[in-house]
Amino acid sequence: MNWLKTDMLYGLIVFLLFLLLGEFIAQLLSLPVPASVLGMLMLFITLVIRGGITSELKASSNGILPYLPLFIVPASVGIVNFMGLLEQEGLALLSAIVISLLVGIPVCGLLAQSLIKRQTNKRAK
Amino acid sequence: MELQWQAALSSVWQSPYLGLVLTLMSFQLGLWLYRKSAQQPFLHPVMVSVVTVCIVVLFTNLSFERYIESAHILSQFLGPVIVALAIPLYENLKALKQYWLPFVVSNVVGGAITILIAIGMLSVMGGSDVSMNSMWTKSITTAFALQIAPEINGLAALAAAIIMVTGILGAIMAPPLFRLFNITAAPAQGCALGVCAHAVGTSKALELGSEQGAFAALSMSFMGVLCAFTLPFLV
Repeated sequence: MNWLKTDMLYGLIVFLLFLLLGEFIAQLLSLPVPASVLGMLMLFITLVIRGGITSELKASSNGILPYLPLFIVPASVGIVNFMGLLEQEGLALLSAIVISLLVGIPVCGLLAQSLIKRQTNKRAK
Repeated sequence: MELQWQAALSSVWQSPYLGLVLTLMSFQLGLWLYRKSAQQPFLHPVMVSVVTVCIVVLFTNLSFERYIESAHILSQFLGPVIVALAIPLYENLKALKQYWLPFVVSNVVGGAITILIAIGMLSVMGGSDVSMNSMWTKSITTAFALQIAPEINGLAALAAAIIMVTGILGAIMAPPLFRLFNITAAPAQGCALGVCAHAVGTSKALELGSEQGAFAALSMSFMGVLCAFTLPFLV
């Protein structure tokens, strides 16, 4: 057991510092944007400027990201407080979702595909 | 010596770790079912875990308040993990070089259309304000939506439920829709899955191929950032 093998810690500190930076920017500019999203953007911009990811950071993100789905469970369980609402509007919500997908998926896919084809045709000429 | 069965059992049931253990175990069960079922979208670990915990909370005397007090520590990790998403985002960026224009256009237009249709349908069917506000977040991944929904007077938990169902149905419906409409280009499939079915769609996209996976992951993040910056001003 090697207690000096704590690769995760370095990344966690970086992520938390960027989270705080996001908090700072959101308040500074009174942006109604979540601090975490701003923090992600700041880290992303930092990576683009630096032009690379350190192996420690890569290791930390590989270590923590697979758990993302687990972290959304507790808040999702909050739906138990709104069973009445689901009973009343569940069907409306479900049909809205299904129809929006039936239109959204083909539109999004066909749009991207036609733009890609046009681009490759242009290049071929 | 008399064994204190009653007291022992009740102290386990009253433990401040109960909610946390329940969440971890149900999620582990979900992971196992997901793998055993060759990754059926409706057996997504989040779905299995949330449904299991909801059943326990609804049908036993474990209240939601006591559950969340125990499991809240997991929610606290959402912040740093969202920040960590910058790393796969940066790594997938290479895939964009050639196709950034189709990517941006299909994300913005496709995303707007799928959201507006859902909102329109719901308002026609007489959805309440709180449902409508939660529906606005339908095309972003739950981690983002949990933070965005309160900003636009939606319910985080309802947003999470809408997104879960959207993601699962989207991942199930996408492959037959791709065949029906002859959508074969890998980036196009990835964009459609990422925009319309976010995280569940991205795992489906990864099954179709790595290029699909990269575009789906990019679309998922792009939609999340786009919605985070626009929804608070639109809704």
